[in-house]
This record gives sequence, structure tokens and C-alpha cells, in this order.
Amino acid sequence: MTPTLLGRWQTRLLLMETVGLLITLIFCGGGFGSPGGPIFFWLLQYLVLFGLAWDYLYIFLQSYRWDQDWPAAFQWLAALWEGLFIILVVDLAEFKLPGTAADWDTGWFLFHYSFVWIAIFIVSQSLMRVIFPRWRFRGGQWL
Amino acid sequence: MFTLDGSGIPAALASEQSTIQVPEPIVALPERAEIGGSSRDLLPPAFQSHQILPQDLYATQLPVEEIDYLAVGAGLGSFVWIDYLRLFGASELQVRALGIDDRPYARYQRLCANSQIPSHERLRSNSDSCPDNIWGWPGYALREAWQEFNQGQLKRAGQYLWQVFAEPTFAQTYTPRAQNVFASIDREAIRIGWSQIYRFGRVRSIRQTTDGRYAIAYSPGRNQMAFVIARYVQIATGYPLLQFLPDLKAYREQTQDFKSVVNAYEEHHHVYDALEQQGGTVILRGRGIVASRIIQRIYEARRRNPNIYLLHLMRSPKPRGNRFGKAQRIVKNHFELQPFNWPKACWGGTLREQLEASNPSQRSHLLADWGGTTTADRRDWGNIVQEGLTQGWYQIAFGQVLRVEPSPQGHPTTFIQSSGGQGELKLEANYIIDATGLDSKVSNSPLLHDLVTHYNLPLNPAGRLTVANDFELLEMRNQQGRIFAAGGITFGGPYAAVDSFLGLQYAALRALDALVAARAPQLRGLNGFRSLGQWLKWANNQRP
Repeated sequence: MTPTLLGRWQTRLLLMETVGLLITLIFCGGGFGSPGGPIFFWLLQYLVLFGLAWDYLYIFLQSYRWDQDWPAAFQWLAALWEGLFIILVVDLAEFKLPGTAADWDTGWFLFHYSFVWIAIFIVSQSLMRVIFPRWRFRGGQWL
Repeated sequence: MFTLDGSGIPAALASEQSTIQVPEPIVALPERAEIGGSSRDLLPPAFQSHQILPQDLYATQLPVEEIDYLAVGAGLGSFVWIDYLRLFGASELQVRALGIDDRPYARYQRLCANSQIPSHERLRSNSDSCPDNIWGWPGYALREAWQEFNQGQLKRAGQYLWQVFAEPTFAQTYTPRAQNVFASIDREAIRIGWSQIYRFGRVRSIRQTTDGRYAIAYSPGRNQMAFVIARYVQIATGYPLLQFLPDLKAYREQTQDFKSVVNAYEEHHHVYDALEQQGGTVILRGRGIVASRIIQRIYEARRRNPNIYLLHLMRSPKPRGNRFGKAQRIVKNHFELQPFNWPKACWGGTLREQLEASNPSQRSHLLADWGGTTTADRRDWGNIVQEGLTQGWYQIAFGQVLRVEPSPQGHPTTFIQSSGGQGELKLEANYIIDATGLDSKVSNSPLLHDLVTHYNLPLNPAGRLTVANDFELLEMRNQQGRIFAAGGITFGGPYAAVDSFLGLQYAALRALDALVAARAPQLRGLNGFRSLGQWLKWANNQRP
């Protein structure tokens, strides 16, 4: 799937707020041995919010590629950067993002984020295509 | 390598006369020979009128069938459309396909075999371009990886998965084996009841009927005629002709030598057989994917006989690739490289949107920017070219071809003009292979030419059928009746990659969505849980 900006946004919002949210709620409830709490929910929302802005950057970078595509490997590199950015902001710069101040733990964030991201990646490569047959022709738009 | 620095005859400017007919299987009858002859004469006088009364067809006492959906062509474009009709709810009894091959990929397979892509070789197609599967999942890479995994070939399985993960930047683009694609189409054909849907027949003429349908006249055999009346028709007749460079066509006509000068898409195995036995020199024209494959074939022939030389004649050097916006296509050894025949975003990304939103004139410019002759950046091909250049058995020459004449020994001799002051140069070879492609101009198809002239249909700037964004021929709309087109005959319109597997899937999906919106019988939208349900049936090999 070669994404468009609108397609990136729609796909990000859908997958983060369904698959991502489901996993996050388990973390919030103390699943997988996590300390629990609303911080996982807020972190997910920040990932979505910042991600919408990153999508602008990705589309810009994409325009330098002759095929105007975005290989799966690039998705992983982008995901790596997006996770790193949250760590930079919250942990290293100690920027007080509302809802994240109290229970921040880098290890648990990495675990939660990796879990969410891998689930989203797998779903985007499989179930999205099956449920939305037009998705791949519309640059990731499912609406 | 020597450079003459000239400019030749652009293949795109090759005139209508520079084409020859696509060879058909032995059972099939030559189209051109028949069209002015007997079977055309069998058309009832009603076909002269703008609209036909269905009763007039019955009055002929010839076989008449009435059906909801009809695909003209019965090749891959038809197959994909019919596959989608079945998934969207149509039964096999509502659907008919008319063509001359019972296997939908037969003609494609023939063209592949002729252009030296045997079944075990890989096509220039993406993993998720699956004519047997609307969802593109699992793609051919995952299926092939699974096959290898089951055979204990873990490394190979991992390699295919890595390719689709990292292509094209960190890995060579995955492409499916031809035989895997054909096998998957066979499986899907059985699943959707293709054998009940397909009928042998050469479609002769398409006319509107007075009751909002279409009458299709076809020949089910020599000097026979039958009719189908359908409300929804799709035309996907593919490429009627092989493109042939004018100088080569003139040579063949003059000399009647069809063995020394050949088109890459016609059967020409004798060239390699003779080269392997006797050695010789080949001049290759064109620098697309077929040219690459022929270089590989010559390379393989040289293992049996190293006394084979290949001169690749190009009309001009290609030091830089096409530019579009901030991007530029890469070039190696005067070959422009990209994984597929269009930039990838033409299938479903930003470029698809841009082309669809453009007017006809803008579309021509965009297609010129994104198009052109390209080949795939395959490591083995790159190595072969490099090795050939180093060892000298492969050379690239640039020049404008003036004429091709037989030498006293009967070999085709090419005279080229150097713009660098070197004057006329003479290149003698045992064989010339024209790898400049196929032609899908409407004027070269008697059926489409008849349709276009009878209904005064507009052609797009590329000389193909003008279609709407959903691939409908709007001027042919007849009350509830609709005609759609797909494939090469729609090139130059709202979608660039019309003649690819994925392009055929896109065209079919757009047409099906339009049919659902038009409340065509038995069809329901395919999305969400219905789509998932159909996928499960596909996965379990159950009827749709």
C-alpha cells in the first residue's frame, strides 16, 4: 500500500484507536503484569497526536522517492522514531505531558508501545486488506 | 561500447502500419483474414442500425442467449471482473465470458513464453497483485514463503518475507513465479465456476438494443454466428497487435524473411536454437523489461556456445532518468530502472489520485513524466549486462536507423546515422529482435474500431477508449445498461497501470462499485464483514 496523507491519518486513527486501544486498556487494567493506570491510555493518545504531525513529514519524504512509496521497513523505522520521540520528550526532556507525569517508566512504555505497534503492523498487513478491499487502492483511506 | 550519439525513430511514433498481428493459437482463426470475409457478412442487417430490436435477432433463427453480465475477451481482464461479480453476489448462471481461450491467462502465458519468460521464471508483478484474490492477501510472497517453509526451506521462506518487507530500498523487489500465478488463477477459476461461464467465440460486433441492453454478435465457429443480449458488458480484449518498428516491418515485407527479423512477443525459439548451434550476432531493439529478459536468454545461450554476440541498438543515450517533482528515476547502463512499469504510487497512492483528478491534457503530460521504457533493477540482469560489457560480447550502440536491408549473404543489415559526424554505419547481424512492445490502439482492433465508428465514441489522447473514472464508456450508456472497459484499451485515461494485474483489479473494483450503485441484479457491496466472509470462503476454497 502506497499511502496518501489522508490515508495515513485514517489508518493511524483507526488502528490506534481499535487494536491499539484494546491492547492499551489491558495495560491500563494491569494486564501483562504492568503497573496499570491511565498513563498507557494517555501515551497512546500522544502517539496518535504526534503521529498525525509526523505523517506530514513522511509524505514530504515520500515525494523524494521515485515510486512515491513507503516500504514496510520504513514503517518500522518511523515507528522506532515515534517511540523514541516520546521517550525524548517525557523522559529525557522531562516535558510534562498531561497524564504522563506520575507513573512514567521507560521499560513499561517500550513494552506497551512495542506490543501496540507490532499488533497494528500485523493487522495493517492482513485484516485491513480483508475488511477494506479498497483500502490499498485509496492510499490507506478506509472511509 | 561505441556511441553514435544520434536520435532514432521514437517507438511511440511508430505508425499504425508498424504493427503486426499478435499470433493466436493454432485453433484460432486469423482475425484480419476473417473480418472482411464471410463471418462479418453473417451479421444481420439489424447491426447497421443504431439500436437493435431483440426480436430481430430471434428472427434470424440463429442462437440467441439473454444474460445479465457479459465479459468480452475472456482473458485476465474479464476473469478478474467476473471473479468480482461472483464475490459481489452474481451467480455463474448470470454471467458469460466470450473469448477464444478457455484458460483466462492463456494468451498472457503465450506472450510470456514467446518473450522468454517460461513458467518457472518470475513476472514483473508485485506480491499483492493477485488476479485470483481481490484482497491481495495473502500475497504471492507469503504463499511462496509458506510453500518453502513446508518443504523445510526456511532460508528461502525468510528471504521472500524479507523482500516484501524491505523492497525496493533494502532488498530486490519480490516478483512471483509465473507458474504460481497461473496455478492460483486455475484454482480460482474452478471455485467461481469459470468452465460454466466461458464460451468459445470471437466477438464481432456490439450494438445497443432498444430495451436498454446490448446485443453482441459472435462467431462460435467458422461461418457461424450467435448472439448474446446482456444488460451489463465489460470489454477487455487486450492488445490486438504487436508493435513493430517501421524499418523492421518494411524489411520483413520486402524480403518475406520472418526468421531473421522477429518480434520478441512472437514465437522465435528458432533464434536461440540456431545461435546455440552455430553462434552468431543478434541486434536487439528496445530497452524495456522484455529486452532485459532477452539479454538473459542470450547469456544462457552463450553457456552452450560462447560465439554469440549481442548488439543492443538504442536510438539515444540515457544519461539521466525521468524527473517528476523532487524525484528522479535511476539509470544504469542507459536502462531506466523501476520495479514495475509505473511508479508504485500509480496503483493506489498519491499519483493515482493526481492522475484521476487531472484533465485529459494534464493526464498526457503526467503519463509522459511517469512512463517511458523501463526495466527492473534485478541484480542478475545488472551483473549480466556488466559482464557482457566487460567481456565484449554485449555492446550498446546509439543511432538513428535509416533502413534495414538484406546483405548478399541474406543477413539483415542495419544502416544507422551518426549525428556525431561519423556518417552512415552498417551493422550486420544474423538476427534482429524487436522488443519494443505491444499495441493497444483501438483502430487496430476490428471489434473496437467498429464500435467506435458506429457510435462515434471519443478516443482519449493516447488513441484508446475514453472511460470515466469507474471505467464506464459513458457514451454507450443505454437506459439501465452499462458498458465498461479494462486493460490496455483504456490506457491514457484516469489510471496509468491499466494493463497490470493490480490495474485490472482496480478497474474491476471500480466497475463493480458502479454496478452496485446502479442496483444491478444480485449484486451487493463488498466491504467489512461481507468481505471477510468472502475471504474466508476463498481461503477454504468454497464457492463464493
